[in-house]
Amino acid sequence: MMALFDFYWGWLVGALLIGFGSGWISVVHRGPDLSRNGALGVGGIVAVLIGLSLARLVPGEPGFWLDLLLVMFAAYLIGCAVGSWLRYWVVSRQMRRS
Amino acid sequence: MRGLYSSSGKWWPGVIPLLILWIVAAWNITPQVESELAARADAALGTSVLDKTRIAAAGRDITLTADAFSEQGRSSAVAAVEAVPGIRLVRDRTRLVPEVSPYVFTIQRDVVRVTLSGSAPLPASKARLIDAARAVLKGVDISDRIVLARGAPQRFDAAAVLLVDQIGRLKEGKITLTDNAVSLSGMARELGGREAIAAALRNLPEGYGVAENVVEAPPYVFQAVKDPVASTLTLTGYVPDNAAHAALVEAAGRKFFSEKVVDHLGASIGAPQGFSDAVATALGALSRLSTGTLVVSDRSVHLTGDALFDAAANQIRGGLNKELPQGWTVKADISVKPAGSPVDGTVCQQLFNELLAKTTVRFDSASATIDKDSVGLLDRLAQTAMRCPNTSIEVAGHTDADGDEARNQALSERRAKAVVDEMIKDGLPPERLQAYGYGSKIPLASNDTEAGKAKNRRIDFVVR
Repeated sequence: MMALFDFYWGWLVGALLIGFGSGWISVVHRGPDLSRNGALGVGGIVAVLIGLSLARLVPGEPGFWLDLLLVMFAAYLIGCAVGSWLRYWVVSRQMRRS
Repeated sequence: MRGLYSSSGKWWPGVIPLLILWIVAAWNITPQVESELAARADAALGTSVLDKTRIAAAGRDITLTADAFSEQGRSSAVAAVEAVPGIRLVRDRTRLVPEVSPYVFTIQRDVVRVTLSGSAPLPASKARLIDAARAVLKGVDISDRIVLARGAPQRFDAAAVLLVDQIGRLKEGKITLTDNAVSLSGMARELGGREAIAAALRNLPEGYGVAENVVEAPPYVFQAVKDPVASTLTLTGYVPDNAAHAALVEAAGRKFFSEKVVDHLGASIGAPQGFSDAVATALGALSRLSTGTLVVSDRSVHLTGDALFDAAANQIRGGLNKELPQGWTVKADISVKPAGSPVDGTVCQQLFNELLAKTTVRFDSASATIDKDSVGLLDRLAQTAMRCPNTSIEVAGHTDADGDEARNQALSERRAKAVVDEMIKDGLPPERLQAYGYGSKIPLASNDTEAGKAKNRRIDFVVR
């Protein structure tokens, strides 16, 4: 997958940015949280997909798309984490000042 | 860190644009990735020897379809593609080309084209064979029906290229290489082609041999036409070499003493065995005819024409059959020229003198055996004698002054006698002919020079 980085780094940056945006908003967002069961479900699905990808069980183009999805999802999560952490840092500084 | 955890429950809304982005990304980059990976796989195969190679990419998976020529070549090709960075899986659809036995390679030439068919071991050897055929057959349509197959004998390429080179020498025919054995059939393009092919086949690589060679050559033709009106002897066709050519023309000059020899002969190899002897014999027979055609084609001799008298016709027919080398066939269509009108003795004498002015009866050295080159002259002398039936003729032998006079005297008598015997065989009544020997007593020229001596060695005909 790394050998083809040239082809999709732009899209990974896109996923990272979406993740960054989501993480940035999530700190002050007042909407509902993902339930514990929902989180477990999502985790389970992702685990299964990672398993499929590593075992190379999905053939041809769907296999490539699965890999792509997982890589973009990883970038998204990193983006979320970075966005959330930064927003926290900003918010907590403002609170300390006021 | 706690904040990060508490906010992570609210990260999910971003997943929806992420999925949309993913779909757009997949839509965009899949074709690019596939063509890139196919190109990389193709480059990785580079020097691998494969046939009918097809590379199909689906996502990061490559389907490799190809014919390989060895198990090792096949596995190394697959390994080379598997090692390409970025490729996830290689679906191996390679197979070994079939192994055939017996291993047959055929070159066939007909009127319009040359067809190469059968098996070749590798694409490179196939290309070499076709290139060789193009080089030999400039401008001829070449049809390639070679199928790649395993199981070729060692040094196949060298043997097959040598055979392809030979097809240029055939007008039509077929050359087949079956394992190590070569068989050839057909017609050589030109005289000597058969011999050239046989010579080239000696250079076949070790282990190869000729099983059958039935290449035929165009007939080896020699033709001589005696035309009494133009007073020419026209020679056409082939002789084996320049030495044989010179000897033949010289002999023709002696045999056809009153004709001009027109020489259109060309030298060529491929003469049948015994050619020179057979042609000399047949030319001797032709020289006895008043008008005639001699055609020698391979080993058959065909003589047509008019003999001067009955006995000569019979002698020619019998003599040809006997004297030709073994294995030769002869067909003689000899008719007899109508006898010349009777003339009186003076005219006869004049006719003898005219004939003997052109040449003389030749004998083997110091012997009374008449040279074969003189049979034509003897026939003419006999025919002349037949035209004056009421005369008697003295056949006078003369020698030069070399050597002992008593021996010369005896020799001249024996020579005159030999000529008379020949005339009697031709049907002249013995009582009309008397043989006399004069030794060197009546020279025509000085015996001091070779030319003078040659002139003095002679047979004279004197009509009484």
